[in-house]
Amino acid sequence: MSLNNLIKNWTSFRARRPYLDQYKNADYKWAMVIDLDACTGCNACTTACYAENNLPVVGKERFEKGHAMHWMRIERYWGEGESVPVDMVPDKGAQFLPMMCQQCEAAPCEVVCPVGATHHSADGLNTQVYNRCVGSRYCSANCPYKVRYFNWWQYADFAWPNPLELQLNPDVSVRSKGVMEKCTFCVQRLRESMDHAKTDGRLVRDGEVTTACAQACPTSAITFGNLANPQSQVAKVWKNQQIALEKDEQKKDENMRGYRIFEEFRTYPSVVYLERVRDLEA
Amino acid sequence: MATEKKMGVDRRDFLKVLGISGAAATLAGCGNTSIESGAEKVQAYVQPEDFVVPGNSVFYASTCTQCPSHCGVMGRVREGRVLKLEGNPNSTISKGKICGLGQASVQIQYNPDRLTTPMVRNGDSLVPATWDQAMTVIKQGLGKDSVISGEEIVFLTGTTSGHQKVLINNFLNNFNSNNHIAYDALSNHVGETVRENVYGYSNPVQKIKDAKLIISFGNDFLGSGLSPVYMATQYAHFRKAPRGTLVQIEPRMTLTGGNADRWYPIRPGTEGIFALGLANALVQHPEYDKAIPDEVKQALQAYDKRTVGEITGINPDAITHLVGMMWERTPTLILSGATAEGQKQGYQNAYAIELLNVILGNVGKTITAPTENPFPQMNPTNATYQALVNLNEQLSAKKVKACLIMGVNPIYTEPTFVGIAKNLKQVPLKVAMVTQLDETAELCDVVLPLLSPVEDFGTYVAEYQPEGVEIGIQQPLMEKLHPHTKSFGDVLLTLLKERDPKNYSHYPDYYSYIREAVIKSKPVFKSSMTDDDFWDSTLMNGVLHIPVKESEIKEVKINIADLPKAEKAPADVNYPFYFVPSIKADLRDGRHANLPWLQESPDPMTTVVWDSWVEINPKTAEEMQIREGDVLEVQSSMGSVTAQAYLFPGIQPNTVSIPFGQGHTSYGRYATNRGVNPFKLINPITDEKTGELALFATKVQIKKTGDNKKIVKDEGPTTLQQGRKLVVTMAADKAELSKEV
Repeated sequence: MSLNNLIKNWTSFRARRPYLDQYKNADYKWAMVIDLDACTGCNACTTACYAENNLPVVGKERFEKGHAMHWMRIERYWGEGESVPVDMVPDKGAQFLPMMCQQCEAAPCEVVCPVGATHHSADGLNTQVYNRCVGSRYCSANCPYKVRYFNWWQYADFAWPNPLELQLNPDVSVRSKGVMEKCTFCVQRLRESMDHAKTDGRLVRDGEVTTACAQACPTSAITFGNLANPQSQVAKVWKNQQIALEKDEQKKDENMRGYRIFEEFRTYPSVVYLERVRDLEA
Repeated sequence: MATEKKMGVDRRDFLKVLGISGAAATLAGCGNTSIESGAEKVQAYVQPEDFVVPGNSVFYASTCTQCPSHCGVMGRVREGRVLKLEGNPNSTISKGKICGLGQASVQIQYNPDRLTTPMVRNGDSLVPATWDQAMTVIKQGLGKDSVISGEEIVFLTGTTSGHQKVLINNFLNNFNSNNHIAYDALSNHVGETVRENVYGYSNPVQKIKDAKLIISFGNDFLGSGLSPVYMATQYAHFRKAPRGTLVQIEPRMTLTGGNADRWYPIRPGTEGIFALGLANALVQHPEYDKAIPDEVKQALQAYDKRTVGEITGINPDAITHLVGMMWERTPTLILSGATAEGQKQGYQNAYAIELLNVILGNVGKTITAPTENPFPQMNPTNATYQALVNLNEQLSAKKVKACLIMGVNPIYTEPTFVGIAKNLKQVPLKVAMVTQLDETAELCDVVLPLLSPVEDFGTYVAEYQPEGVEIGIQQPLMEKLHPHTKSFGDVLLTLLKERDPKNYSHYPDYYSYIREAVIKSKPVFKSSMTDDDFWDSTLMNGVLHIPVKESEIKEVKINIADLPKAEKAPADVNYPFYFVPSIKADLRDGRHANLPWLQESPDPMTTVVWDSWVEINPKTAEEMQIREGDVLEVQSSMGSVTAQAYLFPGIQPNTVSIPFGQGHTSYGRYATNRGVNPFKLINPITDEKTGELALFATKVQIKKTGDNKKIVKDEGPTTLQQGRKLVVTMAADKAELSKEV
């Protein structure tokens, strides 16, 4: 997809929605499932993301301003509704939500980027081209999940005082001031395994590659894989949970736990969450 | 071309000439006159192992040392640098998984505040020194002519195991001493003693996976527990079909409580009484009638629902409800945890909780005997609070002439009333071995810079051994970063060699010591490999594993005198609030506060970062007109601290909490002068039976200072989903987990 092509056919890109069997003949469509009943909110995934993706530690003062760069964060809620009484006892525990870029098929961030810095890749990733980004931050404003992070500072200058910079992952660039960044589904891992597979003349096997968060997760709450491969675990769960990529309203049995967040916005996310379960009789 | 011809030199010749003269110039620069003589000097910049390809990662197995669960890990190494840790799938403890705390090991390695040279005291300050200078000072006290012996020498550590522990003992034996003092500020010794007395094992296997109902009294097994990664892997199975139910009873919601199907807040210290209330109701059922002796049954009658409800603050109906579930959902598993055990009646609390397991017949089902370690000398030391008290007594008697400290920071973690700082200063020779200067090291005469956990050799045996026995092998994942750092084992071997050359001079280094020990253990593993192959395969696997050997818990003992008394604690007008500090899964007792990832990792329950805060129930806050961010003074009879209020629904209305871990005065740029240290508020209350510090029995008063500062946290302005269907919850009876793939 050249930039010229992108600009020329802007209207059609804007209007694009996923359609039935879009990835049927594709080699890859990366997708994820997060089981909220297994997730304990322990933050192993978020730290793994810092380690893998060269996320800067911004410090207390910048964190206060909302400059934290955690591509993956754990949100914690105490109730589903608008309000709770002041003496509410959280007797069903807390509600934890790992939240990162949902790699939407019709991503609201992509259509507002004035320079096409964020666009969709052939394997279904919402990519961010750092050296094309001019920092308009329109994408972040338009993201309903609030998972895009802007480099307000030149973190490379101070976030890794010597010798902390030796930990940086050489497969991932350190972003500079003025560009937007977000979860990439660990694209560096994907590209590496796709290249290996290509050399061997095959496709990436299920389980051959996974994201840093899924690899760390002590309860294996995160499943990652290739949705275009019907034999992959992630495709099996999507199918079992009766979630179709191209639908914005799922018709599924009521005892199935799969759902996508903000589906009604027609963003067509690539991440399925499985509902948290609580024994209400306990 | 034509032009070149005219000049008499064609292009090819020109390049030839250039090539030769270029090579000649290079060789001349090297001081060689011919290619032949220079050949042996030509070397690649890096000489990697055969299997190392620049740009490709290699994974080496090792063992995590961040907490006593000692997960097997794998380090991703590229171009000679360790970049990231993953779990080691060979490890029966980590099962290929890793927590945030474990990941942060690499930040010990690359910490900008690492100690890179030895330090020696010069008057009031520590000054950088060479290893020779530092060892000279140490050898003056502990060299070959030293006559120090017995209680004159102290080796103070945290929980240690494996060959480090063996070496410490050998070192002390050389001085006719066994004065290895293992201190852990967050020790779980109370619970271990109870389980030792009831089952005969201090850490029996608790089979979370097999239970259908878990009732946990403040046991944070998913967060700050004994083996959180292993427990989390088992919890994942527990939640699969047929899904088990988790009930958590505790004064302040832990991460585990946040994942419970039912969470009950309880008045701190009354956990045992609630357990006996359950026991009393339980034995009314004919099936459980015969489980305990009649005299115990009679004693239980004092714990009727109304009395128990009044003392614990839990609605008496909950007892009927829970007992109904215990009857229906078997097998069950009842767990006691830190907040139940860290009380004046901590031992009794834990005893009453284990009594439930006995009545319910869980022994042999969800509680089983651990496999015996064929190398008992490597088993972990039982680190306690009592050890600190013993040490302080020895110090104040001025008997101690040399004190070596490793892996523990008592100046930071000691409660105010112990006062070890003053006594420690009087010891003539104090040696700290650290990777980074901390409050305790600053008091010492010599500070030795150790290798980081990813640079060193070692062997570790975890306290909790769920599947057989795993000996974790630690190996360097990279060359040492700072040339003047040394292995802990090498420091001890150097000293031992001087004192006992006969037994130790043939070990060139700690590596050879461990290698020999591992190879000697070969018969136990019935390996037919050569010594070299056995050693190599051990390093590759990262673990030595002794398979599960089923043994039965032979006898269960119940002592009626060890049950808690059904008494209501008198109200304290001066200090009306219970103080239940929380143990963060990452910062623990504060030893990890120097790691920036952990500082910026939001606390799971509150999402606060980089600071301390006071958790207060919103209802209490409303009554006292406290808003979030109000700076509160929290005062106990031992002292006071100030921190911002955070309104937290997961806490008893008459309890406040501050997390452990912050408030360092000297621990590098990321930890120093950040937040407050709740250890300094702890009252001198100990468990009556074991003498362990009752960490959660302090009472405090709170006052508003009038200041308000924005609290730095990750959560947005609302803590509610506001109908956005972010985290959707399904009732367990509706979900068909068995149909899921």
